[in-house]
Amino acid sequence: MAKHRRIRPVSETVLLEGRNVWTVNANPSVAVRGESLRMFRGIEHRRWDPNRSKLGAGLLRTRNDPTLLLPNAGSTVLYLGAGHGTTISHLHDHLCGAKNRFGGRLVAVDLAPRCLRDLAYLAEHRPGLVPVLGDARKFDTWGVLIPSRVDWLFQDVAQAGQVEIFLSAVRRFLSKDGIGLLSLKAASERHNDGGDDDIFAAAIAQLSSEVELLEHINLTGFEDQHALFVVRRR
Amino acid sequence: MWLWYSWQSAAVVNDEGDILDVEINEARFSVHGAKERLQMISEGHLPPEAVVLKERFPEAKPSAHGSAELPEFEIPQPTASQLQVADEAALLLAKEGVAVSAADPDRRLEHLLRASEELRTLHLTMEARLVEWVGLFLPSARFERNRTHVAGQLSSVDSLSDFASMLDVDDAYEQPSDSEWKSLHDWATMVSKQGRQLDRLEHAIRVAAQVHLPSTSALVGPLLAARLCVEAHGRSRLARLPSGTVQVLGAEKAFFSHLRSGTAPPKHGHIFMHPWISRSPRWVRGKIARMLASKISIAARIDAFEGTPMSQNDVDEVEAKVEAIRKEFSKPPRR
Repeated sequence: MAKHRRIRPVSETVLLEGRNVWTVNANPSVAVRGESLRMFRGIEHRRWDPNRSKLGAGLLRTRNDPTLLLPNAGSTVLYLGAGHGTTISHLHDHLCGAKNRFGGRLVAVDLAPRCLRDLAYLAEHRPGLVPVLGDARKFDTWGVLIPSRVDWLFQDVAQAGQVEIFLSAVRRFLSKDGIGLLSLKAASERHNDGGDDDIFAAAIAQLSSEVELLEHINLTGFEDQHALFVVRRR
Repeated sequence: MWLWYSWQSAAVVNDEGDILDVEINEARFSVHGAKERLQMISEGHLPPEAVVLKERFPEAKPSAHGSAELPEFEIPQPTASQLQVADEAALLLAKEGVAVSAADPDRRLEHLLRASEELRTLHLTMEARLVEWVGLFLPSARFERNRTHVAGQLSSVDSLSDFASMLDVDDAYEQPSDSEWKSLHDWATMVSKQGRQLDRLEHAIRVAAQVHLPSTSALVGPLLAARLCVEAHGRSRLARLPSGTVQVLGAEKAFFSHLRSGTAPPKHGHIFMHPWISRSPRWVRGKIARMLASKISIAARIDAFEGTPMSQNDVDEVEAKVEAIRKEFSKPPRR
């Protein structure tokens, strides 16, 4: 007998099924990183591995409504520190869909040419994804690609001063009441004696002074020394 | 007063966020046209629309879209087709950036060096296996003198008996089976090929390092220069390191164990490879390493800023210093 696990749709394209997250595959029958593909009600879904994606882990861990963590399908979003595109691909599934049927726009910035190689390949099969080779801190060089403020912004840059970079990105590109997500890697901050908890506490204080902190999601277990902060711009 | 600009439009804005003048290009751009515009912005140049406004308002401060200093104002939006073209151009630009990144000599040197490291490890293991394997069948053969030639010799003969007569030792009492001999022969061919491949790799590293790091190569040899550069993650990073770090580069384990638990600090990392250090008596190695590391730092900075490379005279001066240190401390210190 097949196990019956509770299936909870988060959006039209994202499913929570027990401890798994699935997104409708926008590039049918192709797995981006060897993740499993599976049919739900006749539609092919890709498994969103929470061990590889901090956003995926956040969806499972959040105590609030998971829809809060995702942008509206068909909107323009900004992603700083895109990496090799694991999270990006699922976000694209949700935001743009197959052949960009929702009309979304996902601007993904990363500094490393090696990462951009994978992203550019991804973008060829996924219209709506705009990879940018540039420094996430140098808004002047690629900011023109975001002509109006976005409602959703994600940052995962893993370098010292992450919170400051995030706040300046929020100031420049996030609209009022827009949602910003910051994935904070404690080990990337300058070494201090207090340990990770102190780093997170300092980040919370810094964030709260400028934006409304909605949730602090501890990712221990999926990604150690990491936390996901969900904020709303005042 | 600010001169705001995007890739196809520009506006003059005062501190209150009122638009004083605006230039919007509503033309349909080709992807290449848009790409050129985007490239212009990322390099910090003004688009033509902004240049026009700059002439009308010379006192306005140019500031790209997305700058922190701009006041809030109604930002002119591109048309839908312009937005689409910009996205395509961004993808093109990203691909171009990826392609151009192959020109980075640091990355190329890293692949060469790591490849030679990996191949050397593999080669030594496989060679050891080969010597043991042949030794099993020919117990009276000794390979202490000519380990490196075993592979070449074995791959040139057609049977184990031929190899035995070539070495002038007793033929095998127990012969390998036909397929076993073929496997052994293939193994030997591979090992001898690896030897040649390693030489070729090292030659490539030497050539690359002498172009990329002329001064450091002249001072400590191209192989060590390449290793230091790769270990520091690039030439410009190597140039930025303090020479104390250059001295212990490659001895991270000992160094951090020193910081954590107070064991003796390492005196040298990769630079130990250099004969000035490894061929010196134990008690002066630290002193020479310190001096040499500071000279390497200077050489790396000359390389990074592409100055006049170190001449043979400069290198001779350093060598004279090494000699002086060796002479001054010719006796081990008394304990």
